[in-house]
Amino acid sequence: MKNQWIEFYRGLVTVKASGKGIERFINALTRSGIYIWNVKNHGTQAVTFKMKLEDAKKIRSLARNSDCKIEFLQRAGAPFLFKRLLKNSGFVAGALAFFAVILLLSNMVWGIEIKGANPATEYQIRKELDKMGVKKGKLQFFVDNVESIQRKLSNNIEAITWIGVELKGTTYHLQVVEKNEPEKPEYLSPRHLVAKKKAVIVDMFVEEGRPVVDIHDHVQPGQLLVSGIIGKEGETETVPARGEILGETWYKSTVELPLKSTFQVFNGNEKVKHSITIGSLNIPVWGFGKLEFKEYEIEENEKRIRFLKWELPFSYKNVTFREREQVTRIYSNEEAFDVAKVMARNDIKNRLEENAKVKGEKVLHQSVDNGKVTISIHFQIIENIAEGQPIIQGDTE
Amino acid sequence: MAKKWGHFVRSWMTKNMELPQDVMMDLPRITMIGQIHIYIENHRGLLAFSDKELRLLLKQGQLLIKGKAFVIKTILPEEILLEGKIDSVTYITDND
Repeated sequence: MKNQWIEFYRGLVTVKASGKGIERFINALTRSGIYIWNVKNHGTQAVTFKMKLEDAKKIRSLARNSDCKIEFLQRAGAPFLFKRLLKNSGFVAGALAFFAVILLLSNMVWGIEIKGANPATEYQIRKELDKMGVKKGKLQFFVDNVESIQRKLSNNIEAITWIGVELKGTTYHLQVVEKNEPEKPEYLSPRHLVAKKKAVIVDMFVEEGRPVVDIHDHVQPGQLLVSGIIGKEGETETVPARGEILGETWYKSTVELPLKSTFQVFNGNEKVKHSITIGSLNIPVWGFGKLEFKEYEIEENEKRIRFLKWELPFSYKNVTFREREQVTRIYSNEEAFDVAKVMARNDIKNRLEENAKVKGEKVLHQSVDNGKVTISIHFQIIENIAEGQPIIQGDTE
Repeated sequence: MAKKWGHFVRSWMTKNMELPQDVMMDLPRITMIGQIHIYIENHRGLLAFSDKELRLLLKQGQLLIKGKAFVIKTILPEEILLEGKIDSVTYITDND
């Protein structure tokens, strides 16, 4: 006997045959290769049996040649189910649409919660997130991953020291630690002001204390500039000396710069491949073709697809290939000196406090050898050279 | 004369060469499982079928099966599987 499941899959019909010579009809059927089964007798001269759907056409001509009448009673099997499914395709479409919508909604950003930030910072964070595209209703596939959000936020917003970004379901939880910048108490213990470095004093603004040096004085490091001991002899008083002593100081900066140097740069060519990953199987969705880049860097971004609260074993992945290029930069001697000067200036600025001013610069020496330029520049800087030095109690009494 | 001789050769071959008789001599092979199933190979067509009776044409003679609640489970040109409660299986031969 054949497998009934295959018959079901192909479709089967129940046929009622009635009239005279049913037996002859059945013989004719079997001889012409029609497979019938479950032949049952119903009263006199009526029989029902089942047959394959694909044989239903053949039976008609055979029935015409016999004395029997045939009647199709029941249709069963996959083809009929499928037909009914098509008829009721609205339901199927509805069900599919339902799942699709749930799937879509499960992968959206539904909320951004910011904790630990004051309203101003929170506003700033929200603005920054908006710029990044992290908004309510955005699909999570097209949003940066958590680490890069975290990095960008902490880079772009100065008011925060640390930010923790966590994605829980459809909500981003941001935990912010703000830089607490308390007003420093202007409490100073009694002190002198002494020179930090060798300088010529240019200007003095003494708020409190007794200056002991004058403009144009040459001072050595550690030399007393403003005394914290004021008052007449005998009835002295110690105060925290305050003020700014601007002195001219000198710095030397030496910069070496090769004339020829090579860099690795991205030349802006990039290719993005999108794919859907099921387990370890990778199905490309968009971005086909071979890579034509010789050297490139790969950035992978994988996002799990979620359904309600569950993570599905599928994930959406995009891989970005960025082409890299070797660039050789060659300076002429003049250009190299110019660049070296700029570098020297930057170097000086890094070494100084913010409010220092560059008064003048003088190239001491510049040379080209071995494909390198060497330049040393002497800078004249005006900066605050005062430094507090506490007055030890024992000294005054 | 020739037909009889052929018959003789065949029966001699089956006897001496241990070949199955149903193949050699076109006899029906009937397999029964208790009273509920009967499987007949090598029949030559349906003659009559009802709830209580099945009559099959054989190469020689007919086979009559009697019982209750008969359903033909499968029917192929030379095979038939009958289900029901079988009471009797009778061979009907004319030239007896």
